[in-house]
Amino acid sequence: MRLGTLYAKAALTSVGPRAHTLPDTQLHRSATVDRAHLAGYARVCGFTVGDTLPATYPHLLAFPLQVELMAGRSFPLPLPGLVHVANRITVHRPIDASEPLDVGVRAERFVPHPKGAQVDLVGDISAGGERVWDGRSTYLARGATAPADPTIPTAPASRPFPVRESADSRARVDGSATATWRVDAGTGRRYAGVSGDVNPIHLHPLTAKAFGFPRAIAHGMWTAAHALAALEGRLPDALTYEVEFGRPLLLPSIVELRTHAVDDGWDLDVTSRGKAHLAGTIRRSVG
Amino acid sequence: MPKTARRAAVIGGNRIPFARANGAYAQASNRDMLIATLDGLVARFGLAGLRIGEVAGGAVLKHSRDRDLTRESVLGSRLSPTTPAYDVQQACGTGLETAILVANKIALGQIESGIAAGVDTASDAPVAVNDDFRRVLMQLNRARSLGDRLRAVAGIRPGQIVPEIPQNAEPRTGLSMGEHMALTALQWKISREAQDELAVASHHNLAAAYDRGFFDDLVTPYLGLTRDANLRPDSSVEKLAKLKPVFGKGIGDGTGATMTAGNSTPLTDGASAVLLGSDGWAAEHKLPVLAHVVDAETAAVDFVHGSDTHGPDGLLTAPVFAVPRLLERNGLTLQDLDYYEIHEAFASTVLATLAAWEDPAFAKERLGLDAPLGPIDRSKLNVNGSSLATGHPFAATGGRIVASLAKQLHEKGPGSRGLISICAAEGQGVVAILEGA
Repeated sequence: MRLGTLYAKAALTSVGPRAHTLPDTQLHRSATVDRAHLAGYARVCGFTVGDTLPATYPHLLAFPLQVELMAGRSFPLPLPGLVHVANRITVHRPIDASEPLDVGVRAERFVPHPKGAQVDLVGDISAGGERVWDGRSTYLARGATAPADPTIPTAPASRPFPVRESADSRARVDGSATATWRVDAGTGRRYAGVSGDVNPIHLHPLTAKAFGFPRAIAHGMWTAAHALAALEGRLPDALTYEVEFGRPLLLPSIVELRTHAVDDGWDLDVTSRGKAHLAGTIRRSVG
Repeated sequence: MPKTARRAAVIGGNRIPFARANGAYAQASNRDMLIATLDGLVARFGLAGLRIGEVAGGAVLKHSRDRDLTRESVLGSRLSPTTPAYDVQQACGTGLETAILVANKIALGQIESGIAAGVDTASDAPVAVNDDFRRVLMQLNRARSLGDRLRAVAGIRPGQIVPEIPQNAEPRTGLSMGEHMALTALQWKISREAQDELAVASHHNLAAAYDRGFFDDLVTPYLGLTRDANLRPDSSVEKLAKLKPVFGKGIGDGTGATMTAGNSTPLTDGASAVLLGSDGWAAEHKLPVLAHVVDAETAAVDFVHGSDTHGPDGLLTAPVFAVPRLLERNGLTLQDLDYYEIHEAFASTVLATLAAWEDPAFAKERLGLDAPLGPIDRSKLNVNGSSLATGHPFAATGGRIVASLAKQLHEKGPGSRGLISICAAEGQGVVAILEGA
């Protein structure tokens, strides 16, 4: 099913009865990378057009399965209104665009959050039986409730990685800006075009207003990808890239990227007026 | 300054397979291809994070946003960001000229290592605003008052929406490179059959070189391409004979119509890079030395007007003049060389160049020589194929040839010599001699 159709289905089923627990569904698909699509993604996010997949690209291969899993009534949270609050990606080795890939997606950790309930959508990608990529997207449903599971500590302590500072109050990285980005009004539409994430909050000021945003906002995963692209040529082959999303990045905006080299990777954030839109870390992974 | 110059070493090279325009690399920019090529070189020679003396690179078809294209590409590559870089632009001579510049700095001891690079895309070519419209925009930019602005805007015409597309024509003559070449081919009576034979040899030589693994350490696959997309291993004189002429149709009462799509190079996308260094630097990094750069020469001809003693020279004939100067300076004859790499802009370019070197009258009157340079052993010419088979991404051709010839000379053995001859638009020609190590 096309993503747009899935979104429509999700909108229709967003009211009415829903499941109270996570479905134990595991969705799978095999995927081959369309090079024209990869080139389009590279252009929109600022990556070099090449053969190795940017670490954030496989997220797009898993994303349709995420939406499929979340779109029906068997999923306990309504898809419209879900907020992407954090993301963690591990690339175990460089993935070549010519490799046939197996993509799996499942949902995990449906837990209470001080502002509602959160859930992780977990993707894994293998090539020839070898695990090459893992992704964990954490979504928050404001005002929703989740069953307290004694085996999983309550959020935010259960968040997939420790938070040094609250992302929306203080920036993570010290020092002056690495780069100033002039993020134009079409950014959301362009990323929607390559990602299939056509959530109306990213497309136009009017559709964004309908969901309570003053203007359209950038996709968190675009911001994450654009920050990663700034470090191309300076990244380890195998890495874990963790981000938390803070304040929505309203379009258009002028924001600052800061990168800070650490022992085995980078700390980075994307801020404007001292408030973080994204704070993240990149660490060499052992493969 | 050091007291004596030393010879720069060619350590190796890397290029991506060349693609016909609007083919496999249609979505790739010059920067994308150059970064991929530099990263391939980095991987091959273990240069990650290393500060190289300098990277000289360039492109012929270049967007205005690609100011300092080479430095930008270095910053996107795995080379150390403390590696300086600059752009060169000398039409199809760009790639060889960058190698000469880097080699000269190494020879003078100013740098210990360097990378010469070139890239071109005909698929992602710069399309500019129509020049009339651009003038209106500049006037609008200068306007101070509302009246000035309105006057500027009133200058906009519907026809100005048509953008300017880069053309393969000489600004001063309005003739395309092919039309220019057809004039030279007619002058030297280069036959259609001879051109087709040269084209077939280029394809067969390139296919054989791939088959024997010659390019295994010279080429890195890119965007799914593993060999040059233009290569036709089964090319034959019979097949090429069927093609209709595309250049020179209106000259020589029809006898000038000898140049077809089969014996001319197609528009091509691609990039190449060559790693050079001092012998000491190569040894320090445990890298091989394939060859040394002996000497180089650049010539230019008056292809526009000519003088009182002779008419205008052929656009692509500057190497005809450059090579005798280079040979004389190095005390060599044309026959002292073991390999000849004469860039096949068109098959007729190579054949006209060889014909000029064999002509006694031309030697005396135009080259100022008592005797012509004489014929070459054709089995030593473009032995691993050349631009007719690989295609010709303008600025990338020089690097392709330098790396391939250096490897070929290394296989031949120490002291072997090879000549590189590259013609360029604007009536220029860049030539060089390498010696096997």
